[in-house]
Amino acid sequence: MKLALRDISVRFGGFKAVDGISLAIEPGTLVGIIGPNGAGKSTLFSMVTGFLPHGEGVVSLGEADISRDTPFGRARRGMVRTFQVPREFAHLTVRENLMAAAPGQSGENLIDLFFRPGKVRNEEDAIRREVEETIDFLKLRAVADVSAGRLSGGQKKLLELGRVLMTKPKLILLDEPFAGVNPVLIEELSGHIRALNQRGIGFVIIEHDLSALSRLVSVLHVMDQGKLLASGAPAEVLARKDVREAYLGGAA
Amino acid sequence: MEAYLIAILIVTAIYVLLSLGLTLQYGLTGLINFGHVGFFCIGAYAAAILSTAGSMPIAVGLVAGMLLAGLAAIPIGLVALRLRDDYFAIVTLGFSETVRLVITSEGWLTKGVQGIPGIPKLIDGVGTGPALMILALVGFANILAVIAFLRIVKSPFGRMIEAIRDNEDAVKALGKDPARFKIQVLVLGAVLAGLSGGFYAHYIGYVSPDQFLPIVTFYVWMAIIMGGVGRISGALVGTLLLMGFLEGSRFLRDLLPFISAVEMASIRIGAVGLALILFTIYRPQGLMGDYTRRK
Amino acid sequence: MAFWIELLISGLVAGLVIGLSALSITLVFGIARFPNAATGDTMTVGAYGALLGHRATNSLLVGGLTGAIAGAIVGFLGYWFIFRKLAQRSNVALLVASIGLAFVLRAILGVSFGHSQQVFQLPLVRPWRIGDVPVHPNDLVLAGACATILAIVFAILHLTPIGRRMRAVADDPALARVSGISPSSVMTVLWLLAGAVSASAGIVAGIKTVVSPEMGWDLLLPAFAAAIVGGIGSPVGAVVAGLLIGVVQEMATPFVGFTYKIALSFLLMLVVLLVRPRGLFGKLEGAR
Repeated sequence: MKLALRDISVRFGGFKAVDGISLAIEPGTLVGIIGPNGAGKSTLFSMVTGFLPHGEGVVSLGEADISRDTPFGRARRGMVRTFQVPREFAHLTVRENLMAAAPGQSGENLIDLFFRPGKVRNEEDAIRREVEETIDFLKLRAVADVSAGRLSGGQKKLLELGRVLMTKPKLILLDEPFAGVNPVLIEELSGHIRALNQRGIGFVIIEHDLSALSRLVSVLHVMDQGKLLASGAPAEVLARKDVREAYLGGAA
Repeated sequence: MEAYLIAILIVTAIYVLLSLGLTLQYGLTGLINFGHVGFFCIGAYAAAILSTAGSMPIAVGLVAGMLLAGLAAIPIGLVALRLRDDYFAIVTLGFSETVRLVITSEGWLTKGVQGIPGIPKLIDGVGTGPALMILALVGFANILAVIAFLRIVKSPFGRMIEAIRDNEDAVKALGKDPARFKIQVLVLGAVLAGLSGGFYAHYIGYVSPDQFLPIVTFYVWMAIIMGGVGRISGALVGTLLLMGFLEGSRFLRDLLPFISAVEMASIRIGAVGLALILFTIYRPQGLMGDYTRRK
Repeated sequence: MAFWIELLISGLVAGLVIGLSALSITLVFGIARFPNAATGDTMTVGAYGALLGHRATNSLLVGGLTGAIAGAIVGFLGYWFIFRKLAQRSNVALLVASIGLAFVLRAILGVSFGHSQQVFQLPLVRPWRIGDVPVHPNDLVLAGACATILAIVFAILHLTPIGRRMRAVADDPALARVSGISPSSVMTVLWLLAGAVSASAGIVAGIKTVVSPEMGWDLLLPAFAAAIVGGIGSPVGAVVAGLLIGVVQEMATPFVGFTYKIALSFLLMLVVLLVRPRGLFGKLEGAR
């Protein structure tokens, strides 16, 4: 499913946080977006996923114009995001967090809940099996019955990825998945992302950790001051002088 | 003494319905409903009007009260659930005050400030027998409500409303519409409050607008905050404490007759306020522990 | 015509009361981040304070100052003993505690002063007539006093260093923290100011009508409505919306009757929330 952005702008008052971005994310690709703080990456993410009121331009997913869709409507189409600061359901266990994410549960409907308990039970069993697979895949077995609020930062990121997977997404948008995660877990997360990508799931990743990201993605977009500065293969893009100036500043 | 105890239990059971509704709304879903008394009032007046002027059977009035209270919750929910949680609190508070204004103003239907007297009892007759029957009836409603409550809590629906309480944006990100759940929860709580109001009208036998002041909402808040938010045991214990407090303040006046009725009303309001403040600061988990201590 | 102009004038005076109380709410909402339900009862404190001060000295000015100081003290005490301790908690905790404070204040006033309505004993002044319209000199005095209070508040917000810091915190609390603005000094000034402003609203309401322990609570909803209609965090919006609601309420009275007046502000608030949730002057809530 192709995600296409055409002339996306977002204004806060007089300030243009995102300024005329056009991008196409091909189905099943692994794409990174980098840029200095305040470049508008997160704002772009939030608008594309519907968490900010629509600014200007068109967001389309596959054939559909989703510019005015609700956040949950866009997620249901298969484009699911995570958050910079993980948003676990703190008082539910890891297992419950994952179960909650499964789509189309008739047990979430009060009428079915009271009048078709058999159907609800069967679905729950199926979801539970799926959750166990996800737990194994992400190696969360040890903390499966722990309240999500007690997990470490890295575990929360894993859990968020797991929740996203439960929705059976086609395109996953990760907002700084490596921020605050230790190097070992970064490798693990990268491995999961690669594995999932091989199954055909597309990824768009906002990240600061250049080294981990550039090894992971096949296409890198660079944002600066709300605009798209460069796009291309990671090595190529990172070699460009204007990118080094904008992004790496004096450090380069 | 026996009669007194039964009477207390009946009133407690009536209040438990309110506490259960608010526990569902606030404790599990995180909805700050400051207008609970509005739904209670609708249930009470529906029962009162239908059973007196309407000369309908009591059951019809009770059901109508539940339905009307539930219906009233829908527009409130549609408007307010799109908003921030603290706006929701203000809107629901405004709703309950508006209900009271309507009750006060539409005298042709509600007899205005005079109120409606002579509402038939749930079970006719005097003495312990009928009182026990009433208690059994209200108690039965309580048991049904608790069973339904537990069924909901342990279901995918219950999981989702707790997820909404913990992080609404994450729920949206997973492709689920929180408003759909919240409005159902709001309606469920309102239906419980409506039933509670119906029982109340038939038990007290008289309704008037000043029985439905916002303080009633905060009695229920005090109960669930004292008991422990988001737990059924918290709702039950909290309601018992509330009754102890309300009855205790009545005894206090018998003991200290120089305190006038209005002064006692003031003291009672002050005590509710103090309890809300102190529990919020020093024991936010309540006496029975809140949802954070369940696992 | 004269009838309508009279309604308009009384609407403007009522609107000043609503606007002042909404100003207090919007300041607290913008900086301490919760709707302060104790605003109404702080108004009542102001009214009783002014009543006592006026009785003792027979001077409305001294009475007003007494009331405003009483309100400021209550605002500060509420901050120091309650809201300060809840600063790290959710807005629900703050909101519930503010309801608690409201009840405690009302209880103290009820026990201390009784529940009978009291009035300011002011000399009767014949209204002036401008054309057919009677204009009460007292209304003009009150309007002047309100304008002065508003001028003082806006001067504090825009011309003093602490006011600039307050606005900075309101704009972006995280940024303000990073840039080293001491929250406690900002908060102290905020609560003193919010208390005094609510009290002023209560004093004006008390002079115009009657003083009773319930008066402030009854004025709370229109105040919330005005704060929301004006746009949370916008002082100008609060005042404009207060005036608007005051005028709409009064002008509509011949059509909807006296009791539904309060419901009108509720309705207006609902409409604004539906059509333009950020209010007339509010900012769009930022990202992240």
